[in-house]
Amino acid sequence: MNFYKKRKIVNRLMCSLAFLCAFLTLVPLLSIFGYVVSKGITSINLDFFIHLPKPVGESGGGMGNAIVGTLILIGLSCIWAIPVGICGGVYLSEFGNNKLGTIVRFTADVLNGVPSIVIGIFAYTLFVVPMKSFSAISGGFALGIIMIPTIMRTTEEMLILVPRTIREAALALGISQFRTTISIVLKTALPGIMTGILLAIARIAGETAPLLFTALGNRFWQRGLTQPIAALPLQIFAYAISPFDDWHRQAWAGALVLIVMVFLMSFISRFVIARRYKFLRSS
Amino acid sequence: MKEEIIVSNLNAYFGSVQALKDINISINEKMVTAIIGPSGCGKSTFIRCINRLHEVVPHARVSGTILLDGKDIYSPDVDPMDIRRKVGMVFQKPNPFPALSIYDNVAAGLQLNGITKRDHLDDIVEKTLKMAALWDEVKDKLNSSGISLSGGQQQRLCIARALAVKPEVILFDEPASALDPISTGKIEELILDLKTNYTIVIVTHNMQQAARISDYTGFFFLGELVEFDETSNIFTNPKDKKTEDYVTGRFG
Repeated sequence: MNFYKKRKIVNRLMCSLAFLCAFLTLVPLLSIFGYVVSKGITSINLDFFIHLPKPVGESGGGMGNAIVGTLILIGLSCIWAIPVGICGGVYLSEFGNNKLGTIVRFTADVLNGVPSIVIGIFAYTLFVVPMKSFSAISGGFALGIIMIPTIMRTTEEMLILVPRTIREAALALGISQFRTTISIVLKTALPGIMTGILLAIARIAGETAPLLFTALGNRFWQRGLTQPIAALPLQIFAYAISPFDDWHRQAWAGALVLIVMVFLMSFISRFVIARRYKFLRSS
Repeated sequence: MKEEIIVSNLNAYFGSVQALKDINISINEKMVTAIIGPSGCGKSTFIRCINRLHEVVPHARVSGTILLDGKDIYSPDVDPMDIRRKVGMVFQKPNPFPALSIYDNVAAGLQLNGITKRDHLDDIVEKTLKMAALWDEVKDKLNSSGISLSGGQQQRLCIARALAVKPEVILFDEPASALDPISTGKIEELILDLKTNYTIVIVTHNMQQAARISDYTGFFFLGELVEFDETSNIFTNPKDKKTEDYVTGRFG
């Protein structure tokens, strides 16, 4: 009986401990979000989304160009990083059981740990120097490099989770290896792969360092992909280190918009996937 | 009676391990041939050689010939994909495609081989689901996931999926070993129905099952075909001592 009581108490204790830890992980997120909302919400209005920044001293103005710029940069990096990442992941999981696979895997993990500012310098020497101009393209290139290892490794891991028997069932129907991989295996792993892509996007949406050398920032509307481009993190950085109160308020608003943008993107794509894969959950 | 599959001098390997040793066997058309034997004796490997699925395992190889309709399926000018369309397979564990609906599971073999005409597919899906005795249970939920069905239903879905590509031969790899007795009964009934149109090879651990549904039985032991004969002879009058010991339950 005594033993039973002791067991009960230990159980309670460990349960509360686990709960406490789970709660602790939420605290930073909630407090950051709460703080950003309280500081930023007052400066958010329609002007903020559609107007260019005003010169110092004039009140009003917005970050319309930076919001569009961030979306363009995300689009540019996705265009090349998603195909490369997914194809690389397919290689690793389906054919990567060899030395090359091991090397690629290791390299990807190292790349994942390379400071983003170094990647910015790399994109600078590869694009900005020969083109003699900062540009949206170079920014998209730098951000794409940051995305690739995440996408590649999640794709690989999700594909490995698809059981062998599913592949064999497809092959046994006389379906080619290619169609089996694309239409059966990738499709089965799609929700997981999508999560990897979203994580990668969420990470690059807030990257500032690699953009300092590549996208540079721009106080006006975008004129083309070979021109410097504005981005929210850059604008937030520039405004936050400025001495003007008005700019500080705008920086908070920019931070809030950035967080909400990432949140919305992840929410919407999850919603779309959940609808397409609704039947999966009915089991 | 026509011999549909003639296997001569078949050897199969996993790397340096030989899983099948010099198998010679002739499988008759529109008959049920059961393959029995203890675990690890090469039964599954044997049937996976008939649809060229053995070779998809890394480092696996095959030597010897298997004639299907008089043509060697291992001849270099044969596309394994054609063979797999002619020789369907149902696996041990039900394995419907989890990301596809019931309809798409059945249609997958056609759709992914380039046949996409909707009414043609509708026809085949309905016909094969009826043949697999599943139509009445799923006709109102063709768009739900294949894995929302029970185990026995999933296995019948897999049978429908195999039938949809119009094979001549269907291989069953212990199709009922993961199912309850009622579902097993349904699968067995189904196999007897299918026999009128298809040549069937079934691997089974269950000797009563082999006795109930098969016309011929082959006993495999340690990668060799010990004895092959009409099922009644194997079970009542086996020629080999090992076969007798196995079918009477003395080992295995």
